[in-house]
Amino acid sequence: MKNQSIKGWIKSGAPGVWLSAGAVSIAVIMTVGLLLLIAVRGLGYFWPADVLQASYQVPGSPAQTLVGEVVAREQVPRARLRATSTAVPADGPLTMTRELLKVGNRDVYGSDFVWVVADWLADVQAPADLLVLQRREWGNFYGRLLDIREHGQVVAQGADAWAELAPRLERVRHLRRALDRLEAQELSAINRGLENARLQARKLQLSGRFDAAAQADLGAEQSALNARYDEAEARLEALRAQIDRDSLTAVEAGGQAVPISLGQVAHAYRPNAMGPLAKAGFYCTQLWEFLSSGPRAANTEGGVFPAIFGTVMLTLIMAVIVTPFGVLAAVYLREYARQGWVTRLIRVAVNNLAGVPSIVYGVFGLGFFVYVLGGSLDRLLFPEALPAPTLGTPGLLWASLTLALLAVPVVIVATEEGLARIPRSLREGSLALGATRAETLFKVVLPMASPAMMTGMILAIARAAGEVAPLMLVGVVKMAPSLPVDGHFPYVHLDQKIMHLGFHIYDVGFQSPNVEAARPLVYATALLLVLVIVLLNLAAVALRNHLREKYKALDS
Amino acid sequence: MDRFNSPQRSRGLAPPNPRTALQPSDIALQVLGLNLYYGATQALHDVNLDIPRQRATAFIGPSGCGKSTLLRAFNRMNELVDGCRVDGQVNLEGQNIYARGHDVAELRRRVGMVFQKPNPFPKTVYENVVYGLRIQGVNKKRALDEAVEWALRGAALWDEVKDRLHESALGLSGGQQQRLVIARTIAVQPEVLLLDEPCSALDPISTLKVEELIYELKSKYTIVIVTHNMQQAARVSDYTAFMHLGKLVEFGDTDRLFTNPAKKHTEDYITGRYG
Amino acid sequence: MIDKHSLNHHISQQYNAELEEVRSHLLAMGGLVEKQVNDAVTALIEADSGLAQQVREIDDDINQMERSIDEECLRILARRQPAASDLRLIISISKSVIDLERIGDEATKIARRAIQLCEEGESPRGYVEVRHIGGQVRAMVRDALDAFARFDADLALSVAQYDKTIDREYKSALRELVTFMMEDPRSISRVLSVIWVLRSLERIGDHARNIAELVIYLVQGTDVRHLGLERMRQEVQRGTDRANVSPAADDK
Repeated sequence: MKNQSIKGWIKSGAPGVWLSAGAVSIAVIMTVGLLLLIAVRGLGYFWPADVLQASYQVPGSPAQTLVGEVVAREQVPRARLRATSTAVPADGPLTMTRELLKVGNRDVYGSDFVWVVADWLADVQAPADLLVLQRREWGNFYGRLLDIREHGQVVAQGADAWAELAPRLERVRHLRRALDRLEAQELSAINRGLENARLQARKLQLSGRFDAAAQADLGAEQSALNARYDEAEARLEALRAQIDRDSLTAVEAGGQAVPISLGQVAHAYRPNAMGPLAKAGFYCTQLWEFLSSGPRAANTEGGVFPAIFGTVMLTLIMAVIVTPFGVLAAVYLREYARQGWVTRLIRVAVNNLAGVPSIVYGVFGLGFFVYVLGGSLDRLLFPEALPAPTLGTPGLLWASLTLALLAVPVVIVATEEGLARIPRSLREGSLALGATRAETLFKVVLPMASPAMMTGMILAIARAAGEVAPLMLVGVVKMAPSLPVDGHFPYVHLDQKIMHLGFHIYDVGFQSPNVEAARPLVYATALLLVLVIVLLNLAAVALRNHLREKYKALDS
Repeated sequence: MDRFNSPQRSRGLAPPNPRTALQPSDIALQVLGLNLYYGATQALHDVNLDIPRQRATAFIGPSGCGKSTLLRAFNRMNELVDGCRVDGQVNLEGQNIYARGHDVAELRRRVGMVFQKPNPFPKTVYENVVYGLRIQGVNKKRALDEAVEWALRGAALWDEVKDRLHESALGLSGGQQQRLVIARTIAVQPEVLLLDEPCSALDPISTLKVEELIYELKSKYTIVIVTHNMQQAARVSDYTAFMHLGKLVEFGDTDRLFTNPAKKHTEDYITGRYG
Repeated sequence: MIDKHSLNHHISQQYNAELEEVRSHLLAMGGLVEKQVNDAVTALIEADSGLAQQVREIDDDINQMERSIDEECLRILARRQPAASDLRLIISISKSVIDLERIGDEATKIARRAIQLCEEGESPRGYVEVRHIGGQVRAMVRDALDAFARFDADLALSVAQYDKTIDREYKSALRELVTFMMEDPRSISRVLSVIWVLRSLERIGDHARNIAELVIYLVQGTDVRHLGLERMRQEVQRGTDRANVSPAADDK
């Protein structure tokens, strides 16, 4: 009887439904969980957490004052703690709470983090006057503000100092902006001019027309540029001196006074004194800075804007290259090529191409695009720059081409699918009106297949945007000096190396000197990468849906 | 004897006498010894047929009898199928369309075709109608506007769509779509209209409208219609050809064919017998 | 061409049944009408007013049959949209029914005369002409119905041809009876009754001829009405030839 009911249950198909529903739920839970994890870990980083002050006494040693943020807390078996520290008493509960305190002040302590046993912390409080300085070097500083100095002279002390700090920081920020502008525009323009002059001289030399007159011309130009350079350099120096005019002195938890130049300070805030609203405001500023500014301190701090820009740029150029190429290939395969074993072979090859590990594409890109293609182009177009390569070195163009190669099978397959789905009757309708095959193709078939092409592009973007491995070989670097788009002709510099979010994650997470401190940044960057890809995809999906609506085919 | 003309006759020209052969000048399409092969299989066997000008001629027969194939031979649509081979002649106004160097695009303009399922392009009503004209390089707005109105009126669709010329043609009903396709076809002013089961995807009312349209159109165009619906063939056509297994079994005046067919085979088919 | 077997070769069995049913109803009605004619003439000749009365009563049944067969034809037309031979069959049936009903009416008229003559007394001259022509007309009706039942154009042709003979005999009988009336004015009323009976018989012959013509139309698809006997004969001949040749042509 029972046996039968189980049999009936299996026969009814319910187990299959449960099984498939279960698989779906697991997939959904895993995806959502992953996103939540990186979102929480990454976004929490920017929240100005309270800074604690406590007295910490390891049994048998003198008490010391600690100032810092609690970033992690865990239960550790007493036995394990005992193994590392003899101060741990043998009896008591089986596990002890251990907290990871970010105490900052790497320049003073040598390390940003310290593990403390919670039981040994006493007198935990959050005084409002505790100061956090985000510095351009050495990470955060935690302590109390002592005074503000101008040219080494104290101008404000104690309570006045905090009020004095903000305007002076603002001034420094202004100066720094001017400095950046000077570096990015004038100096780089002068450098470019010098480089051009050198290349021109080399060009003339190569063509054998480097006579005295040309030499004199170029010499004059060079010296003019050099003069401008010196002048700009002097201004730069002046600015730097201006920036370093002010400094502050702060005491760390142990009571040691530390002088810090205001030029080193990115942000100064007192989290314990901030209300929730002020904290939220500060959070937004931090987030915006993360999105809009460049990295500092070997990528472990600051923003990721160049990486976002590089990723988007790379993906867009890839899409621009891959879509027409893949569409043309698909159109030929489906519409014009004689269907036979050759086309079948090509299709098999295309499908298999999609399964090749991406690093292999990277190797191919390096070997073919960079060395062979780039090298030949260099010899043809930029002989004067040799032996320094212009195109014969990893760069944005080659990275995009490599990604395009990686993604082209997807576009071909999707487009072919789309072309095959267009009802025969529509083609016949067009042909029956006296249109030729080409006219039919361009006026009816391609517009109708455009949603499929967009689908192909979406898939290509999805595949390519998350790719890191091949990019390391063909143009992505951990730190690019400038963006690939700027105000100088030809505005888009396809030969430049770029930064990439994926590679940034790898670099920050595994290659940075201070992995522990940078870990939240890894999460934040990962979240950002996901968001960027989602955004790119959404844009493409919206475009496709628009087209699909427009060319909504007959039911079949 | 012919005092009581059938209504379709009274609209057209003088009734054709089935017992006298067609004059050469009345023949729009002449099929001479047409054999057609798809690869190794022969789809048409030695078909000889004269299709009279400005009359409706219906092809009936069971599925796979080659009637659609024969129809598609008139505008060389069969050539889109791989491995299709034709021998014999099809003369359009005396010229063999299978002659070497015959312009296929021009042929298809002269011999328009409407398909089984309405297949408007996913464009506006207006763009659908002017498609063929644009292909021919007509781009003047005035000319196109006039052609659209003329063709849509000709297809008895103007009043229904004149306010939504610039909306998608896919928003029309099935019957309207089919008439739009007819309008699109007559917009290029063909000489012959081939209709390949034009009503098989339509509801009865739409079917009647299309049939009514065919009635109207046959005063201007030579119409050849393939249909599975024998009543439809009987209703709209002046001549009917019955085909079976790739052969033309019987061709004649529709009135006679449907009351007193000469061949037993035809009789069995149109009365629904197994022969 | 149509023959008896072609009726039940439709793909739709239901259609077969419907056609078979309406045809058998027609033949049943024909049989009844034939019997009516027979009975009416017998009643007259044998002065059997009871039989004559019975003929008059049965006429209602015949009218009823006409209506029901017409209904069936209409239904088949509307629902099956018959074509070719089926169409001709239905058309022929629905037209033959009219003729049969008229024959029934004529038989009733004869029966009424028979009752009248029973009351007034036998015709002084006897019923030689009635007996003679009546027999021939009865045979015509029977043959016409047989031709219908067997789809026999040749038999139908002979029926049509025989109508000419009936007409001739009717005319000569008329002449004789008129002469008789002039000789014996007292018998005018009764002889007139006989003349009416003969006229009815002649009409029955005409209706039988109509049915025969419909049979030819049914079998061969050619309308032979008002063509004259010679043309009719030629058409039938041609149809028969075609029927004999076409199977061979089809086989080719």
